[in-house]
Amino acid sequence: MSGSRWQEPVITAVASAAILVVCFAPLAALAVDAASAASTANVSLWRLTQLFASTVVTAGAVTLVALGIGIPLGVLLARTDLPGRRAALILHAFPLFVPPFLLALGWFHLARADGALGSVLAAAALFGRAGLIAVLGLALTPAATALTMLGVDGIDPALEEAARTVARPAVVVRRILLPLARPALALAGLVVFALAFSEIGVPMFLRVRTYPAAVLARLGGIAYAPGEAFLLVLPLLGLALVLAIIERRFGGLRTLSALGVRTDRPRWPLGRWRWPVAIACWLVVAAGVAPFAAVAAEALASDRLGEAVTPAIPSVWNSLRVAAITATVVTAGGLVLARALVNRGRASRAVDALAALAFITPAAALGTGVTIVWNRPTTGFIYTAPMILVVGLAGRYAVLGIRPLAAVLSRTPPHIDDAARAAGASYLRRLGRIVVPMHRRAIVASWMLVAVFALRDLETVILFYPAGEEPLMVRIFTLEANGPPAVIATLALLQVGLTALTLAAGVALLGRRR
Amino acid sequence: MVVLLALLAAHGCRQRAGHEVVVYTSVDQVFAEPVFRAFEERSGIHVRAVFDTEETKSTGVVNRLIAEAGQPQADAFWSGDPVRPFLLIQRGLVVPYPSPEAAAIPAAFKAADGMWTGTAARARVLLVNRDRVAAGTEPRSIRDLADPRWKGRAAIANPLFGTTTMHVAALFASWGDADATAFLRALKANGVRIASSNGEVKRLVVAGEVSFGVTDTDDAHEAVAGGAHVEVVYPDADGAGTLVMPTSVVVLKGGPNPATAHALVDYLLSADAERRMAENGAHMPLRRDVPVPDGVRRVGDVRAMAVDYARVAAAMEAIQPALREWSGL
Repeated sequence: MSGSRWQEPVITAVASAAILVVCFAPLAALAVDAASAASTANVSLWRLTQLFASTVVTAGAVTLVALGIGIPLGVLLARTDLPGRRAALILHAFPLFVPPFLLALGWFHLARADGALGSVLAAAALFGRAGLIAVLGLALTPAATALTMLGVDGIDPALEEAARTVARPAVVVRRILLPLARPALALAGLVVFALAFSEIGVPMFLRVRTYPAAVLARLGGIAYAPGEAFLLVLPLLGLALVLAIIERRFGGLRTLSALGVRTDRPRWPLGRWRWPVAIACWLVVAAGVAPFAAVAAEALASDRLGEAVTPAIPSVWNSLRVAAITATVVTAGGLVLARALVNRGRASRAVDALAALAFITPAAALGTGVTIVWNRPTTGFIYTAPMILVVGLAGRYAVLGIRPLAAVLSRTPPHIDDAARAAGASYLRRLGRIVVPMHRRAIVASWMLVAVFALRDLETVILFYPAGEEPLMVRIFTLEANGPPAVIATLALLQVGLTALTLAAGVALLGRRR
Repeated sequence: MVVLLALLAAHGCRQRAGHEVVVYTSVDQVFAEPVFRAFEERSGIHVRAVFDTEETKSTGVVNRLIAEAGQPQADAFWSGDPVRPFLLIQRGLVVPYPSPEAAAIPAAFKAADGMWTGTAARARVLLVNRDRVAAGTEPRSIRDLADPRWKGRAAIANPLFGTTTMHVAALFASWGDADATAFLRALKANGVRIASSNGEVKRLVVAGEVSFGVTDTDDAHEAVAGGAHVEVVYPDADGAGTLVMPTSVVVLKGGPNPATAHALVDYLLSADAERRMAENGAHMPLRRDVPVPDGVRRVGDVRAMAVDYARVAAAMEAIQPALREWSGL
């Protein structure tokens, strides 16, 4: 036993050091450059402030749209006898795992003059701030729906049943469910706001000026000055810190405490409202999947499928293997750090906060920092290989491997681990024989979540992807400039298919191991 | 854990293939990629490419090249215009390569010492919506953008990015600072729409949201080929001339594959590459031995604006603060 005491501190330290390297080092390197660029910075503070404010307002509006639709829908799907709720949930959730840029592309095909919803008014509305709010609002609503469902499912059924004996369902929802689910709802608001604020692909496609898009554009300016770009990023880091503090205050791990819980509670009958409510819910679901239908129609109507797919095969393979390796690395490291976090190590909390900061920080800053840190003679063999994509993506999405697993591990009775330790089991043995088998469904779910986010990533990797190793999303985005619409639509459909296959494989795996 | 480490090892390290070339390009991927594939088939050399995004077109990869200067990763840069390479030349990041294929390129479109060489070109043209502009009344000059007759009815891409930066810099180099600055102010006063790209200008004109706009010949040709009711006007044909922008090729200092870089540059300057660019991307051939497809003009048939691309490059850097102020960043 004494010979294996080193395992836990050493392995935890290695995982923590990895987080420091992939999450903190790029931001720190950029900060060093910022210090040298501060004296030469040439930015219009007033205009930047205006742009920052307008982006905050836009992200706020997106959050309102997502919460306004997602909270009622989440309650209905979690608690009522809505017809087809399982299918509705699956279809409604899917757009969250697809790059919002592809949804914007689909809405463009719907709204253009010869599209299904085509009219000059529709096209004009899409290419503007209102269109941006609508597209992003619908794209991110599933996050609000899912977190509302998790929050509602985490409530003690006894409270709910007691309330129902004396009050109507609407009152129970207003007075009991929503107040008790407030941490999850607050997290939903924060997640949607953060994702909406840092989104780059949709505003660039819809020609709306936003602050993060301006930062990326600044990196494309004529005088290369990553430090100056970092100065522009500083307000975003401030915003990210505020969001992180609010998230801690409202719940932290408790927010996700319902993750993985299976509930078999009785459903509330909607009575005569059942079908009108069902139609409204299914309209929301339809609005989420309609862009996919438009993209599919555009792709399938073309005779250029081969022309689009054949050259993209290396990108498909590259996307898949990078996503798989990133998910494996992040999940393995996340498991180690999640255990440390649950055991309330102070250093682990700091590492967790760093990972959260890297997730919220605009990807353009992280991407530029990756180039500064890794393009050196000693690390060139990584920088010029697909491995650099894994490094960048692991930095961005490390938090997705830590938080969900920590939430699950926090519910494990500590005496199991204590007993195994007392029996002489080493740290690695306890991980392999107790933790992994007990929580394999959560581990698979976490792996799947990271893989899907790595697949959908555009904004992190676009600044440093190795020559000839472009992921599929980058290929779609760079071809979008002047590529034939049918080819772009075909590639978009391919990206949607990859995501669907990944999710289906994960769900099948979860079902088999249940 | 063992499987994980094996995965990382297999995935992580790039073995130098030896028979490959790394090229960064701001030429549209849809046009450049077939040319690279043709080169691969002819030479057996594998091309690894990095392409620009539309928003950062023409400067994004230049910035990446500058960022990577300490540890160069690219062998060659194929620029969508002839000016951006000077940003690299001024920083000492380019080595001369007088390609034998350059002999067929007119002297105005190459450096005598082989620092850069032009190839398939585009021009800056006016794309006019025929439903909104009657025949005989169409704009004929770049200065028409500031003409009150077209108030609120014209569009140009953001001059911070893409070929529009070069165009504005060429105006500064040609007209002088005072005249060009006044012109930019007049554009704002005249309600000219600022689009995010030349492709967006095309979309605005084709959709009839504006009467005309300034864009590149390849975008204009795409609108015509797509059946849009538009006309392409080569501006200032009876005055200062139209700005012609050859794509241009440079060999980068310290690149990992200098020999294959020369082979790629030779091919990009060849008649075959120019023919492909003309057929696929409506680029104007510089060489006389390349046939011109319908709807594409020869460079020799256009009254070209007399420009010193080195001066334009210098102007482009000098006007950055003013352009950022003008465009709001």
